This record gives sequence, structure tokens and C-alpha cells, in this order.
Amino acid sequence: MDITFYNIYEKSSEIFNGHTINLKKCGWCDPWTMGLVCLKAIEYKDSPDKKLILPDDQDVVAYLKRMHLDWFLEELTYHEFLKLLAEKAIVERENLNIHEIMHCQFRDDFGARLSSRIRMMFRNFGMNADDESRATALVGELGNNVFDHNEGAWPTNVRGAIILGQHNPKKKQIEVVVADPGIGFRGSLKVLDPSLTSDIEAIKLGLSGVTGRVDERRGNGLRVIQDWTINKFDGIVKIHSGSGLVVVDKDGQKPQTVFPVIGTLASFVVRYK
Amino acid sequence: MVIQISKFNSVLNGRPAAKEAALRIQQIVNGSAEKEDVVLDFSGVEVLTPSYADELLKALKDKYGSEKVKIVNTAPSVSETIHAISNT
Repeated sequence: MDITFYNIYEKSSEIFNGHTINLKKCGWCDPWTMGLVCLKAIEYKDSPDKKLILPDDQDVVAYLKRMHLDWFLEELTYHEFLKLLAEKAIVERENLNIHEIMHCQFRDDFGARLSSRIRMMFRNFGMNADDESRATALVGELGNNVFDHNEGAWPTNVRGAIILGQHNPKKKQIEVVVADPGIGFRGSLKVLDPSLTSDIEAIKLGLSGVTGRVDERRGNGLRVIQDWTINKFDGIVKIHSGSGLVVVDKDGQKPQTVFPVIGTLASFVVRYK
Repeated sequence: MVIQISKFNSVLNGRPAAKEAALRIQQIVNGSAEKEDVVLDFSGVEVLTPSYADELLKALKDKYGSEKVKIVNTAPSVSETIHAISNT
């Protein structure tokens, strides 16, 4: 079965159950799904009964290997479940449409990768120079938010921005996901409004330009991300933080209450002709 | 005085880096803004994030006044970033 943004919230109890991440029946997945897997892997990391079940489908195993999921999960002490991935041999340059997971623990790591590998990723995806500059600025802004709002407050012993990118030439779209195991929108905006109890309301406030960095003149980043993604790329912005999910496209915002995650998962999908 | 912004980097990202750049520009300008404009030349800058632009331009405009800070030679995506943060 395909597991993508469009069905993962219906199938979440099959995939994330107890402290198990079960991808056994996965026949295809997207970067959004993988971002959720990364955040759940962090959440379950220190549970003695944590478990990861890899897909039976060897094409999906090759896809996960291409993303270097094994490297990321080894950092999180999942090595006993990664044998299948460790044994899988692939030719990395055969599929430039999938980018490996980049875990940037510190702002400097992120800055360095933004200047080199993230730009190269967009070039390899076939973007022209102007769009590549815009898309790089969008990733830059999402990554900045990770560090601006979580420094000094990381809730677990895993920190940083986790970046995933994928180009789907058939659909003529590129999706970049930036995940972080941080305090989330509500955790950040609680400083501003301690009565805030809804993750959806917190995401909507953030999208409107309200910032948790009280008394600082900030808050433009997410507005620019929405504006460019929707108006320049005919795309979609998706944010899942805590148990709130808000999708923004040219038709407006679509909020939904979903299963909770630690931190935030944010993505932009850009389309080209 | 013309400041070649690309000397800071061709990919300009994040408020901490912009704060440093604004402080450095103030040292370079060193009083000459009383006699001439502070011209920020963005030729060679390929990526400019909104947070960098916001931090840099607000700091320099606060210091020298909006009318003294001029922006020239921007690539399309760079001018879009500057336009976006100027509208907020």
C-alpha cells in the first residue's frame, strides 16, 4: 500500500503503534511520511520496547537506502532493526530525484548545507537558477525557524533540523520537508499567550506572522513562505505541529486535528510546468 | 559609499549572520553616511532569505535612515525577498 500525506493520517494506527514503526506493507511513500517516521523514531528512541519493521517491498527498501535512512536511525540507536538496509546495495547516482536525509544539529551545519548541498539538490532536480534561489531561500527560512524557536528549549536529547527532499518528475513537483524535534508552534507561542491550548490555533497564528520571539520585530518568514509557494510555484504549504495539521494552498487554510508528533513537520510542495 | 554585499556570502541566510553583517557595515561606513548614501550592491548574491534581509535592512535603516540606504543590482529572487519584507 502507498503511504503518503494523503492517507497516513487514516492509517496512522497501523504504522505507529505502541513504540513500533511498522512499514512492512509499505509499497510507496513520500517525504512527508518519512519526516513523520523520523519524528516518531526520535519520540520512541529511549523506549526499551521500540521497534522498526522495514518494508517487504525491495524497491521501497532501496528508496529508504537512497535516503540514507539507516544513517539517520543509527544515530538514534535503531541499529538492530536496520540489517536489511545495511545489506542493500544501491547505486546512489542512479536516482537523483531523491535526496538523502540531512540532519543538521546546529545552525552552522544548516548554513553550510544550505549553501552547498541544498542548492545542488534543487539543481539536480532540474530547477532554473531563479527558482533554485527562491526554493533555497524557502528552505533557509524554514530551517532558521527551527533554530530561532528551539535553542535552549529542545525537549529531548535530539536536536536540529531534519531535511528531506524529493522530486516527482511524473507529477512535475518537488517537495521539501523540514522536521524538528522541538517545542512546536504552541510551545513557542505560549510565551506570547499562555492561554493558548490548541495546536491548530498556534499554527494559524504563526502563519499570520505572529512570533513567539516576544518584543522582537520578526514574523515575516512564514508569510513569505506561503506567498512564494502558493503564488510563484502554485504549491502547497503543510505544517503538522503537536496534534494540529494545517494545509495552505490557493484555496486557503485547511486545519485538521491529527495524531500528535514531537516538534514540527513543515513542508512546501512546488509545482513546475 | 558602496558596500559589496556578496563579500559576506552569495547565500545570505539567518538573523545572526545578518546582525554581524550590519555591525561590520557600520564599521566600514564609519561616519561617511553623513556625506553620502549607503549603497548596498547585491550583485553576486544568489540567495537572500527574508530573515537575513529583514535583520540587515532594519538595522541599517534604523542607523542611517531609510532615505540613506539604497539597494542596487538585485537578482529577481533577491529583489522579491526585499520587496516581501518591505511590505510588512
